[in-house]
Amino acid sequence: MVASILFGLFTVMAVACALGTVFHRQPVHCALFLVGVLLSMSGMFILLNAPFIAAIQILVYAGAIMVLFLFVLMMLNVQGERPFLTPGPTKGFGILFGFVALAELLWIVLAPGAEDWRPGPAPALPAGFGSPAAIGRILYTTWLYPFEITSILLLVAVIGAVVLARRKFE
Amino acid sequence: VDVAFLIEAAAKVAVVLGFVLISVVYVVWMERKVLGHMQDRIGPQRVGPFGLLQTIADGLKLFMKEDMIPSQVDKAVYFIAPAIPIVTALIAMSVIPFGNSLYLFGRTIPLHIADVNIAILFILGTTSMGVYGIVLGGWASNSKYPLLGGLRSAAQMISYELAQGIALVSVVMWSGTLSLNEMVKQQGHTWFVLNVPLFIAFWIYVICAIAETNRAPFDLPEAETELVAGFHTEYSSMKWAFYFLGEYANMMVVSGVAICVFLGGWHGPVLPSVLWFLVKLALFLFCFIWLRATFPRLRYDQLMAFGWKFLLPLSLLNLALTGVWLVLRGA
Repeated sequence: MVASILFGLFTVMAVACALGTVFHRQPVHCALFLVGVLLSMSGMFILLNAPFIAAIQILVYAGAIMVLFLFVLMMLNVQGERPFLTPGPTKGFGILFGFVALAELLWIVLAPGAEDWRPGPAPALPAGFGSPAAIGRILYTTWLYPFEITSILLLVAVIGAVVLARRKFE
Repeated sequence: VDVAFLIEAAAKVAVVLGFVLISVVYVVWMERKVLGHMQDRIGPQRVGPFGLLQTIADGLKLFMKEDMIPSQVDKAVYFIAPAIPIVTALIAMSVIPFGNSLYLFGRTIPLHIADVNIAILFILGTTSMGVYGIVLGGWASNSKYPLLGGLRSAAQMISYELAQGIALVSVVMWSGTLSLNEMVKQQGHTWFVLNVPLFIAFWIYVICAIAETNRAPFDLPEAETELVAGFHTEYSSMKWAFYFLGEYANMMVVSGVAICVFLGGWHGPVLPSVLWFLVKLALFLFCFIWLRATFPRLRYDQLMAFGWKFLLPLSLLNLALTGVWLVLRGA
């Protein structure tokens, strides 16, 4: 009961903030709405018995990455006065992909025979599900290679960013 | 629904909330008194005995003051920003255990509002949200000095959060838990700070905590010699007071975490556990004030260099040392 009410609350918040992110004209406000989306997502993770993921979501995305986003937006001081829909190839592609994703989601929910894919009642959770220990174990056993490859990718990205930033100064 | 449980939870929330909000008044008084004596002055002494009511008088003054709102501010953000630091600090306060369990009315009452098994991450998460108050306040004021203060604050908090987090990771490795309650329980005999790797982690944590709370010598976001008053230049009356309140509440949170994680929490001989916690908290806050009276403010490049080139590598080395230490001790 309480869980359903909270789920409804987080859903409405997430959707409302997501719409705000897309439609608001002031870039800093858009970033703040995105923080709202991340916070409501984190609430949903808690409802899904994944407190560790929820905390990391706030700590990494809302607490660090979005602060850097804001930092850049504030430095650039982008004026939010431009008209909302300017035609252009990127916008066109964005809208196209948006509709493709929407169609996909609707297909999953509405297509004939879709009952098989829809999630049924939640299975009983194994002991310690969602705890840091359980997630750590899975990351370093089952998903070790994807995990390490992701780390290397991120490292490459960091070094690349430093190299690119340096070249400009010289 | 268990009614008794609800009453118990509500009572604890009220006590912690009331304690934080009231004690801020006396921390401010203590700060002015201690700073005064350290600078060979006597500090406030006119309102009440020893000036004890000075902060209350100041609070009343702030309530009565006209609420100035500059004309070009971003209204919504300008209004919300001062509330963020204090709200996040109070949320973080909810997982800090401030005493041993109490036996009252036939119930065992644990003295913390919520026992979260990932308390460390919870606190890091909520305090990392606190930076928004300063960054957004600086931006929404639509003025150059506050913007510079906000930018400095964003850069500073991100830089020092890293070393702080890594310092706490070595404690997590040592204790094998992320729960503050569990950590305090493990320190019944020996405080964590008395182990070599955690001793280093303690100092890294404390330095980062001072930077995170924007206290001297890391108070660059509000450096008055360069930025007028930094991020809160355009704020007045109660909005300004909320920033102030947030800063002190955040000082209590970081001190509370340091006490629970390194200094044995509420453990201590003879005195009741809650009193031990309060004594340690008061000592910690005193040190904050002491530092402010002692050190000149760092230059911005010194601050960044210290954070990235010294503290971060040191905390990583210390993390490795903790690992080696634990393996050797286990063998």
